[in-house]
Amino acid sequence: MSKVQGLRNLAGWLFLAMIGGIFFSVGALAAGVNHAKFGVLKQDFKSGPEVTRACLTCHDEAAGEVMKTPHWTLSQLNPSTGQMVGKKTLVNNFCIGIASNYPDCTSCHVGYGFKDKTFDFTKEENVDCLACHDTTGTYRKPSGLAGHPVYQEMEFPPGSGEILRPVDLRKVAQNVGKTSRYTCGACHYYGGHGNGVKHGDLDASLEAPDRELDVHMDALGLDFSCSTCHKAAGHKIAGSRFQMNVKRPGPPVRGMPEDSNPASCESCHGAAPHSVDTMAKIKPIPGFTKAGMAAVVNQHNNKLACQTCHIPAMARGGVPTKMLWDWSAAGKMGPDGKPTIEKDAKGHTVYDSKRGTFVLAENVVPEYVWFNGEVKYTLLGDKVKKGEGHFPINRFGGSPNDGKSRIWPVKFYRGVQPYDPVNQTLVIPNTYDDGSSGSSYFASFNWEKAVAAGMADAGAPFSGKVDFIKTEMLWPITHMVAPKEKALACNECHSRNGSLAEGRMKKVPGLKKGPLFKLNP
Amino acid sequence: MKMQKPLLLALAAITLAAPLAAGAYEGNWKRGDIYYRMVCSDCHKSQPCGPIAPNSRTRAEWMSYLEADKHAKGKEALKPYFGKAFRASIAGKNKAAAKFADVPDAELQADVEALLMRSAKDGDAPTGCR
Repeated sequence: MSKVQGLRNLAGWLFLAMIGGIFFSVGALAAGVNHAKFGVLKQDFKSGPEVTRACLTCHDEAAGEVMKTPHWTLSQLNPSTGQMVGKKTLVNNFCIGIASNYPDCTSCHVGYGFKDKTFDFTKEENVDCLACHDTTGTYRKPSGLAGHPVYQEMEFPPGSGEILRPVDLRKVAQNVGKTSRYTCGACHYYGGHGNGVKHGDLDASLEAPDRELDVHMDALGLDFSCSTCHKAAGHKIAGSRFQMNVKRPGPPVRGMPEDSNPASCESCHGAAPHSVDTMAKIKPIPGFTKAGMAAVVNQHNNKLACQTCHIPAMARGGVPTKMLWDWSAAGKMGPDGKPTIEKDAKGHTVYDSKRGTFVLAENVVPEYVWFNGEVKYTLLGDKVKKGEGHFPINRFGGSPNDGKSRIWPVKFYRGVQPYDPVNQTLVIPNTYDDGSSGSSYFASFNWEKAVAAGMADAGAPFSGKVDFIKTEMLWPITHMVAPKEKALACNECHSRNGSLAEGRMKKVPGLKKGPLFKLNP
Repeated sequence: MKMQKPLLLALAAITLAAPLAAGAYEGNWKRGDIYYRMVCSDCHKSQPCGPIAPNSRTRAEWMSYLEADKHAKGKEALKPYFGKAFRASIAGKNKAAAKFADVPDAELQADVEALLMRSAKDGDAPTGCR
């Protein structure tokens, strides 16, 4: 063999080896780019913004995209009502409002340093990439740090004895990936200051659910992540309770450009999902063929949201949801004169001197309302009226006859919260205690001081008087979809003579309450 | 060329194996979470919340428990409960055991260990009642 031929062979072998290596590497990394190999991420980051600057060296448009979304702005215009909605503007009957409480609330902001109303919303390095893209499960943003994770070991809150460990930012940055049930849930399961508190259909049991809890997210089956339905484009995520699509002329199609909502049942299942096959296991209705039954059930789709039958109860994963929060009961101290906490048999807090009384419940059967997708909120400054009933924090639009509404399952959540009896408005108290102002309710147990501080921060008038008002809030139920065999049976709503007078729909207006047809005896 | 061929084959093998070597198995805490919730917690319950919360122990306590390899108060070894034989024995009634039937024993134990190190009382993401 000549020297030239030998060199050619050598080059050929090297080429083959190189190609093989490339193919193998590509295959091994098919699930995503191996960020650990990037030089810019091989540094000991001292802060979140440092990581973001590194991310932006490649993903140079990402921060700009995020900054256009409600996850960043925490407010958005609802075009159908003209209201600015979102965490930055709304008042609720859980933790009440963000004004003067920023460091606590903004642990759930996709940003760093939102500690007061002067936060710079134009600074790209303040965008937090890791909150959504961490795959290590180690990235946390504790309440009170204004959206920062822990950079150094610290006792927090000071004097509590609780030691927080720093996050290994290098490790987290080198292992970024797709969002997951864990990353989305880090905020969305814990809204209202605790696991499962707010929604009723979102809690940490959905991190690794079984089929019984959610047929789509079943960790051993379909294994949907949140983003399977809540599709994102340019960091804009589909599906929000602030702008819901509850009924359309036709089923929205997954992947359609703007003005579509792929986060809906129909985007996959279509408008007539019940077939003859799906009727096979259902007890026959006299006078109906299987095809006829399928047609009847599909007809329900015109008046009922899919969720109405397919989510028979909320909070089914062993985590209770909050049904009532009575702030007026706060302030009672323990026998030692210090703030106290009482727990129920399962270890859940039911009384807290700082926050008042809670009522929790599991396996809650929803209530049902006509809903056309429009939600109108009682904003800070809107007049409220104290009475026997509960004043609505939000109102769901809808009626049986408008041609746009369907019957939706909802969580009715009740509260007793401070308000201004002179101005007749809701108020935002300063509850977050930064240890210096003394105005926080958690430090002073003085409502007048706390509300004065909160309203001053919000730039809203306050008379100086505080009373309490009963309020209620509606939460649409759309997660925790049960397996089809656990969907509502006909007789959950219809009595044997077909009437709707006694079943789940008995309180829903505009339904024919008399006999519709006869079910099997 | 006779001398070059083994050398080149070795070179190719190294090139192909490099990504594997770089990715030595680290416990998958998410899979560990599923196994912990759906298999371990299926038997191990405690007050008040049902399944034993990972944050009921520190990392050191969990490591000590795993390394001691003792189950049922020392009456038997712990390792078999991560094993294929155990999974096969309960696969008929436990979907997680069935799903992970073929996962190597050591990997599954590493998965649960990774979950416990993450979720322990002094872990990066302490996890209580769920």
